[in-house]
Amino acid sequence: MSLTSLDVTGFYALLRREVLRFVRRPRNTFVPPFITNVLYFSVFGVILGERINEIAGVPYILFILPGLIVLGAVSNAFENASFSIFHGRWNRYIEEALTSPLSYTSMVGAYVLSSATRGVLVGALVALIGAFFTSVGVAQPFYLVAFMLVITLLFAGLGVVGGLWADDFDDLTMMNQFILRPLVFFGGVFYSLNEIPATFQQASLLNPMIYMVNGVRYGFLGVTEVDPNLSLGVLTALTLGVVGLNVVLFRRGYGLTD
Amino acid sequence: MASAIEIRDLTKSYGDVRALDGVDLDVPEGSFFGLLGPNGAGKTTFINILVGLVRKTGGEASVFGYDVEDDYREARDRIGLAPQEFNVDRFFPIREVLEHKAGYHGIPHDEARERADEVLKRVGIYDKRDTRFDWLSGGMKRRFMLARALITDPDLLILDEPTAGVDVQLRHELWETIVDLNDSGTTILLTTHYIEEAERLCDEVAILDSGSVIEVASPEELMDRGTDDIVVQLRDSPTAVPDFAADDDRVEAVELDGTRLVVTAQQGGLVAPDVVQALDRQGHELVDLEISRTSLEEVFVEMTRQGEGRATAEVEQ
Repeated sequence: MSLTSLDVTGFYALLRREVLRFVRRPRNTFVPPFITNVLYFSVFGVILGERINEIAGVPYILFILPGLIVLGAVSNAFENASFSIFHGRWNRYIEEALTSPLSYTSMVGAYVLSSATRGVLVGALVALIGAFFTSVGVAQPFYLVAFMLVITLLFAGLGVVGGLWADDFDDLTMMNQFILRPLVFFGGVFYSLNEIPATFQQASLLNPMIYMVNGVRYGFLGVTEVDPNLSLGVLTALTLGVVGLNVVLFRRGYGLTD
Repeated sequence: MASAIEIRDLTKSYGDVRALDGVDLDVPEGSFFGLLGPNGAGKTTFINILVGLVRKTGGEASVFGYDVEDDYREARDRIGLAPQEFNVDRFFPIREVLEHKAGYHGIPHDEARERADEVLKRVGIYDKRDTRFDWLSGGMKRRFMLARALITDPDLLILDEPTAGVDVQLRHELWETIVDLNDSGTTILLTTHYIEEAERLCDEVAILDSGSVIEVASPEELMDRGTDDIVVQLRDSPTAVPDFAADDDRVEAVELDGTRLVVTAQQGGLVAPDVVQALDRQGHELVDLEISRTSLEEVFVEMTRQGEGRATAEVEQ
């Protein structure tokens, strides 16, 4: 058996294992974002949204929909990778893969791709919930698909770093609550950049989430507050950098070997 | 004979602590090799370097000629590991865990399922195939660890304390399985605290102490270095017995207690006829004779105790 064919099969086996892990546990993976987003759309979209003026020519509920999709997608991509790797380290079953002939690139590829898959699936779930509350179309399909792929891959890659770095379950919670959520909430999910003071507008441009939310918003609504091509380019470069870092960390055994 | 494992000047340090201190070792292909040593001797560190869970600080380590770091994929593909600590995926039933493990080694899914069923039957837990690891009994968990190591049909099977905490019957069953594998050509590297296990199974053992290999020999060779007790039961209590030690420098001690005579000697089996003849010549009538051979355990304890002595002397200096 050549190592090339071995790695394709091995990569697929780890990818399959990772996908089955979250697919078979819908109560942990799909039910929470379902409930949360039903609440978001009900409260922010319907109850409060009716009292808020249109933003960039679209109703408020439609304006927040892409942001909620991004929120669900990146949170789940990040959480999946960080949890799966950390839990595997904590219980040491990650050694089943580590002691196998899988290449480090294949291992990273499987963790990142499976986590991005969960992110995309949750994003699609949020879109379906949104479609129940409001009429939604896709103005720029290419950008929608491209942004969804890039941002879920990016956050899956960041989740891998988090999973390798964490020493305790508290570290996972901390990353999610104190880093990811503030970035998302100040990332223009619920408000337009044009509606906040100029200083905060400039500060917001340092938040990568702004570009992701606007990119996906552009895909759905055809409106954006930042250049989608520039955003896509920068995010793609960032994603490649983070996934490259993942491979280096695996190769060096960071968090994995003594 | 070619080496399954070839180790040269292998070192591993954790800060100031030297877990492995210049280990040289060759494990011949097809052999049943034991790695013995007290707790903290470096056995698990040694094994983990081979499979990539620990990074060596220095030296060379290769498996079937493949460097464990430079050619890690080739090396790991040939190894099946049953570690001492349970490290099993708890999300999936055990059959699926085996399928995944086989998949990581490049075995297609259909074949992986066939192999999973085969090894589960082989270790006797096929009826538990849809159960998750956490729900298995302690003995079944040990059986599963062996099954997982076998799923990839390894050329080198590494067993780190495979019978720790299992009952006598299961221990014998596991021994039987391992011996069959060795007979069919699989090289076995076994670490164990049950010295009897090494004595019974291994062709050769290495004794590791404080990160260094202090001896490599067959169990028989090691046992020959210890002393045996020749216990003779006499009809009557003699007032004196022959001076065996003067006639044979293999004799180390002679003890008479009523009708019971104990002659402590190296190579007791060879000394015993001389003892019997000498007693006969003096007119003593023998009722019973028994040779109590030194065990590998006694030799092991003695050798590692000497190691402790060396370490203490070094600290005191």
